Amino acid sequence: MKRLLGVALGILTAIGGFLDIGDLVTNAVVGSRFGLSLAWVVAVGVVGICVFASMSGRVAAVSGRATFEIIRERLGPRAAAANLGASFLINLLTLTAEVGGIALALQLASSVEPRLWIPVAAFAVWLVIWRVRFKIMENVTGLLGLCLIAFAVAVFLLGPDWSELAAQVMGQGLPEESTTVYWYYAIALFGAAMTPYEVFFFSSGAVEEGWTVKDLSQSRINVLVGFPLGGLLSVAIAACAAIVLLPQAIQVETLSQVVLPVAIGGGKLLLAFVIVGIVAATFGAALETALSSGYTIAQFFGWSWGKFRKPRAAARFHLTMIICLVVAVGVLMTGVDPVLVTEYSVVFSAVALPLTYLPILIVANDPQYMGEHVNSRVMNAVGSLYLGIILIAALAAIPLMVITGAGA
Amino acid sequence: MLLSDLLDLSVRDHDGTHVGYVIDARFVLDGAPGPTLAGARLHGLLVSPRTHTSMLGYERTGVRAPAPIGAFLGWLHRGTFLVRWPDVARVDDQHLVLRDGYVRVDPGLPSG
Repeated sequence: MKRLLGVALGILTAIGGFLDIGDLVTNAVVGSRFGLSLAWVVAVGVVGICVFASMSGRVAAVSGRATFEIIRERLGPRAAAANLGASFLINLLTLTAEVGGIALALQLASSVEPRLWIPVAAFAVWLVIWRVRFKIMENVTGLLGLCLIAFAVAVFLLGPDWSELAAQVMGQGLPEESTTVYWYYAIALFGAAMTPYEVFFFSSGAVEEGWTVKDLSQSRINVLVGFPLGGLLSVAIAACAAIVLLPQAIQVETLSQVVLPVAIGGGKLLLAFVIVGIVAATFGAALETALSSGYTIAQFFGWSWGKFRKPRAAARFHLTMIICLVVAVGVLMTGVDPVLVTEYSVVFSAVALPLTYLPILIVANDPQYMGEHVNSRVMNAVGSLYLGIILIAALAAIPLMVITGAGA
Repeated sequence: MLLSDLLDLSVRDHDGTHVGYVIDARFVLDGAPGPTLAGARLHGLLVSPRTHTSMLGYERTGVRAPAPIGAFLGWLHRGTFLVRWPDVARVDDQHLVLRDGYVRVDPGLPSG
């Protein structure tokens, strides 16, 4: 059991990072329009996030400090500010989307208007950050988030034509969509898979849990279990949409459409599971993004941070998170559609990726911090390759967004 | 003087030719050990002819990985040199002026 819970950080990071509201919506939208023809992007994203999360986990375990602290120290205030500016705004946008996502998920369960749930959701997130221990937080949200396996179960219960799904993976038998729209969604999926807060949260979480060099294998298992599981479930979401929604030409615009295939395949019981899973996943992601906002700001300015300290001893860290939550609630209360916020957040996240991941790659190679645990040649080769992909995705994101009218 | 007064300053030689920008400062710890830290002495300044960005740690000759980033930063910082602090004639608000006959030292740091 202890072993099992040992991967909780990885599961929470991955469920929260891979199956947050952004992925739930993007994967369903993609499944309903492109079938499984973009499943390869998820695979590319999983490998990418595994590479960079394992780097930042290793940096945290070896140096005992969060990756961003070292970025600030080693690369100086200017490079760190570029990194912070890019990732912090995306993070705030994502936090907004997640709080809205919790409200939408609770609406599914209760039929109560999301705008009534939004303050409740944000308050609950704050309460957990303020009071609940890190370990309990990650175990509860991670385990409940596993309910999302219901999406994978639903795929089997729907009894699809497997050969047709396989053909879709190869890009055959699909309705005509323009190439630019296809690539726009490819970048959105990639951005959703590699959202920057995942690495900040993972490395800061490793410090919260007090990882040392001895925990390096633990870190690796966390990454190798968590993220592929998250990726697999995202493909399952897309598959559900591809099986049920694609043939009917139903476009996904609400969360209820995302879970519709589950209700058809598995009935009320499975639907209940999925709703619990979505609440847990969006709640987990809201915790991750809220904490990441506190982590990055506090680490940049050199304030004391961390849930392992009493709130009184890390006052500015907690204050940052409170302000971010208030901003998120304020934005959502204007009546903006959280699903729309989500769709934009994943694309902008793609734009910010190079500024997030380049410094991590540099720091993971710094012998002063890492000693003998600097990146291996293979890791550097893959990391550099991904940096190239990230750069292309970042440059293409905004032009594609304009050309396609945000994927319309 | 604060370090931020020096960083980013435009550097000129004695006859006013622009030679680059101050991108970093290098200190040596060879002073008498104090109660908290040995006294740090400003050894010199790193001057880059083209860019305002620092070398991000790649001034250490032992650090080259990952190769594409190492190569890119090496290319960006071609011509970057170290001037010893005694070679600095004066510093004003906009410029740092070097003495006649200042020496351009290789900026590489031999440690790993």
